[in-house]
Amino acid sequence: MPDFQFQSLADFLAMGGYALYVWLGYGFFFIVMGWNLIQPWRDRQKILKLLRARQQREAGWQDNRPVPEEVR
Amino acid sequence: MMQWLYKLGSPKWFYDMTTAFLPWLSGVTFLLLIVGLVWGLGFAPPDYQMGDNFRIIYIHVPTAVGMIWIYAMMATMAAMHMIWNLKLADMVAKSCALVGASYCAVALFTGAVWGKPTWGTYWIWDAKLTATLIMLFIYIGIMALRAAFDSETSGSKAASVLTLVGVVNLPIIYYAAIWWETLHQPPSDLGLRAEGANPPEIWIPALFTGFGLIGLVFLIVILRTRNEILLRERRAQWVQELLEQEASHA
Repeated sequence: MPDFQFQSLADFLAMGGYALYVWLGYGFFFIVMGWNLIQPWRDRQKILKLLRARQQREAGWQDNRPVPEEVR
Repeated sequence: MMQWLYKLGSPKWFYDMTTAFLPWLSGVTFLLLIVGLVWGLGFAPPDYQMGDNFRIIYIHVPTAVGMIWIYAMMATMAAMHMIWNLKLADMVAKSCALVGASYCAVALFTGAVWGKPTWGTYWIWDAKLTATLIMLFIYIGIMALRAAFDSETSGSKAASVLTLVGVVNLPIIYYAAIWWETLHQPPSDLGLRAEGANPPEIWIPALFTGFGLIGLVFLIVILRTRNEILLRERRAQWVQELLEQEASHA
């Protein structure tokens, strides 16, 4: 197991004087990748909701029940 | 061969297979990424010339290599869509574009913040950098072209053609630093053969983030493709049954 290269947390955050560049780079990386994961997950919730509403609307039609106003 | 292709090309088969496969893929991907990033940021020894600034390498190189491989995958899918009219291939190609653009943007951004302290500038019109910027525009162009059509089929065809045209940029990016000796260094030796190249303590964490970021590509592409399948196959019996199943679970 290699040793931790920094003396303290502050030393780690300082990145040997390159804090601005290293953390800007990693920050951008985490934002972009995180958004890439969240976006399809949120899309999925939206699609499922949409398709379920459509399914219920069509089921209601077949049952000969009046279609509720809000899904028409 | 064709039977095998059509089985693989079945959206339902893809959906069912990825349902089983997704937990494993995400587990392995996040494990690789966490190990690689913690190791690279905290435990790898600093570079003797660039100090701690070199730690950007652990996200710069994998995303830069990734953007090329994503493009190759997207172009393969576009070709399969054009030749065999495989709908699933088109859905995968569509899912690749935004991930590819993201990897491209991260490679450019991390390159800029690496270049400032090392080269003294965020940006220069070096061959490799310029070719990478063009690749970002091609990715965005493909997405915009597809979105510009009202008809799904026409958009798919146009995007496939543009994707195949853009393949010309791939060898240019890879060989740019070798053909034209401007500023960006050529790809490094991993030190498996040569002595004095980068030592293993430096590049082993890069293997972790590298494989982790490949896993992340597949993870995101699969998630997006599954959404696309649900939307395009919404009339299919199996999607209707799936909706009922999920509703009874919830």
